[in-house]
Amino acid sequence: MTVSCVDLVKTYATERGDIEAVKGIDFAVRAGEFASIVGRSGSGKSSFLAMIGGLSRPSRGSVRIEDTDIWTLSDDRLADFRNRRIGFVYQFSSLLPTLRIIDNVVLPARLDPTQDAASAYRRARERLDQFALSDYLDAYPSEISAGEQRRAVIARALMNDPALLLADEPTSDLDEVSESEIVEWFFRLKRERPLTLIMVTHNLRLAEQTDRVIHISDGRLVT
Amino acid sequence: MRVDAGRIGWSAVQLATQNLGLKRLGVGFLLAGVALQNLGRRQARTLLLLAGVSICSGAVFTGGVLLRSIDSSMAAGFARLGADMLVVPEGALTNITAALLTAEPTDLTFDDSELARLEGIKGVQKVAPQLVFRTDASGYRGGTDSVDVIAFDPARDFTVQPWLEQRLRRPIRKGDIIVGGRRDDALGSELLLFGQPLTVYGKLGKTGVGTHERALFMTFETLAEMRPTMQRMCGEKDPLVPNKLSGALLQLAPGATSRQVRFAILANVPEVKVVSSESMLTSIRQGLAALLNGALALMAIMFVSTALMLSVLFSAIIAERKRELGLLRAMGARRRQIIGMLLTEAGLATALGGIAGVVLGILLMRVYEHSLVYYLDRIGIPFVWLNGWTVGLIGALCIVLTSLTGAVGALYPAWRASGLEPYALMRSEG
Repeated sequence: MTVSCVDLVKTYATERGDIEAVKGIDFAVRAGEFASIVGRSGSGKSSFLAMIGGLSRPSRGSVRIEDTDIWTLSDDRLADFRNRRIGFVYQFSSLLPTLRIIDNVVLPARLDPTQDAASAYRRARERLDQFALSDYLDAYPSEISAGEQRRAVIARALMNDPALLLADEPTSDLDEVSESEIVEWFFRLKRERPLTLIMVTHNLRLAEQTDRVIHISDGRLVT
Repeated sequence: MRVDAGRIGWSAVQLATQNLGLKRLGVGFLLAGVALQNLGRRQARTLLLLAGVSICSGAVFTGGVLLRSIDSSMAAGFARLGADMLVVPEGALTNITAALLTAEPTDLTFDDSELARLEGIKGVQKVAPQLVFRTDASGYRGGTDSVDVIAFDPARDFTVQPWLEQRLRRPIRKGDIIVGGRRDDALGSELLLFGQPLTVYGKLGKTGVGTHERALFMTFETLAEMRPTMQRMCGEKDPLVPNKLSGALLQLAPGATSRQVRFAILANVPEVKVVSSESMLTSIRQGLAALLNGALALMAIMFVSTALMLSVLFSAIIAERKRELGLLRAMGARRRQIIGMLLTEAGLATALGGIAGVVLGILLMRVYEHSLVYYLDRIGIPFVWLNGWTVGLIGALCIVLTSLTGAVGALYPAWRASGLEPYALMRSEG
C-alpha cells in the first residue's frame, strides 16, 4: 500500500496563539516499505503520523493511501477505512483495562459490522497464539507484563489484516529485551506479509534497521 | 478482598455469550460490556452515583404513588359519588369531604314531606333521603364504640349501593345491613345491633371518606322496625322520630346548573342549607389539584436537576476516559457507537439507581403505611392505597424515566467527546 502526502500542515490553536507543528511535508512510502521517522521530542513526528493515519485532520494538504484521499472521506467512511486498512501501535499501553486480552484483540473485528463474531474470536485466538500469548486469553491487561501488553497491541493492530501499520514510538517504555523483541516482531511481520510499515521513533539505532529513515525537525523533513 | 462488581457482571455476560450462543451479537454488546465494567471499575463513584440517583428516583416514586393515591381517592371520594348537592337542616354542620356521599350525623333533622318539594324543583333529577344516627349504645360487636347508622331508601339511593363491592345474591330486604369498607364483618354473617340480629347483606368498597367507610347502612324499613328498641336504648332523639331525615342527596338533571337549583331550593324549602360541589368541594378539589400540580412540578424540577447533576458527573467521567474513547475511534468505532456506549453506561447506572430508589420507596411506604394514612386522614385528605399493578407501573415508569434522565444527562458530554478527533482524544491527559 503506497502512502503519500502533499504539503501537509498541522496548526494547533492554543491560548498562546497558533502553533504550527507540521510545516508543509511532502512525503511518500512505497508499498511494502518499512520507513522510520526520527526526530527530537516536539519535532512534529506524532502529529505527522496522526494525519497519515486519519486520526487528525491536516490544517492544509492531503494524504493519499493507495487511491484514496482519506481526508475527503466522511467521518463514518474514514472510521471504516481506519478499521479495515490501518493498524495502530501506540507509545502508551493502549489496551482497554476493563476487557480481557482476547476481547481487546478482537475489538477491531467486532467494530466491523460485516464480520462474524465467532470467526473474529477464532482469528483473535490465532493472532494471540502467533504472538505467544495464548496463555493469556482470559487475562486482563494489568495481569501481564509491558512487553506482553505491547505484543497484544500488535496482535490487535493486525486483527483486520491491514495493509498499513503505523507505530508511534512502540518501544518507548520497554526494557531492552522487550524492545528488541518488539522490533524483531516488526521485521518478521514485514517479511511474512504485504505490509507497509511506518514507525515513529527517537531511537536512531532502531531506525537504521528499517528500509528508510526520515528525519523531521521543527515540523519539516530534513534530508 | 476487593470485589470487582463490573468484572463479575462482565463474566456473567461472557458466560451468557458462550452458553447461549450469543457470539453473533454486534459490537454494541461488547461496548455495553465495556460500559458495565467501567461502572465496576470505579466502585466508590458508582455507588455515590447510584445513591444520588436512587434518592431522586425514590422521592419521585414515593411522591408519585402518594399523589396518585390521593388523586384516585379524590376521584373515588368526590367524582364518583353521584350527588351534586346535599340538602341538610339549616344549622347542621357538614363535613365537606363526606358531604356528597352521606349526610353528617347530627341531631338536626327536617321532615320527610320536604322530599316531595325537592323532587318538584326544576333541575332536580334524583333525591336520595338519608338519616344518619351516631350512637355508642348500639352494642355493635359487644362494644361501646361510636357507630354511625345510616338509613337509606334503596329505590332512591345513588350513593350507597354503587359502592357495593360484595353482596348476597338477592335484593336487599328488611333485617339486612350493609357494612362500610373498613368493617370486616363477613358477608351473610349475623350481627347484633341494639340487641337485634341483622344479616350482613353487603360490604362497600373503600371510598376514602371515613363516615362512609365505618358506617352501617340499613333501609328505612329496617330502621322503622328497630326504632322502638333504639328509642328505648338511646332516648327520644330527634333522628329517631318517625318521618325525619338528616339530609337529602340530590342529583341534578343534565343541563341544570347548581346555582339555579340552589336558589330554587332556598326559595321553596324553608330552613334548609344546600351544600353543592361547586361551592366547597370544587374549592377543595381545586386546592388539592394545585397541590398535586405543585408536587408534579417539583418532581419535574427534581428530574431536571438530576439530569444536570448527571451531565456534570458524566462530563468528568468522559473527560477521564478520553484516551480510551480515542483508541476506540482510532480502531474504527463510529461516532454514534461511542455515544451509544456512553449513554448505555449512563442509562445502566441510573437504571440501577432507579431500581434501588423504587425498592427504597416501597420499603419506606411499608414502614410508614399506617401513620401516613392516619396523618392524611387527620388533615382531611381522603386516602386509599393504589393497587399493586398501578404501584408497579409507577415504579417501572420511574425506573425508565430515571434511566432516560441519565442518558439525557450524558448525551451532551458524550456528543461533545465523540466529536473530537481521535488523536486529540488520545492526547488528553485522562
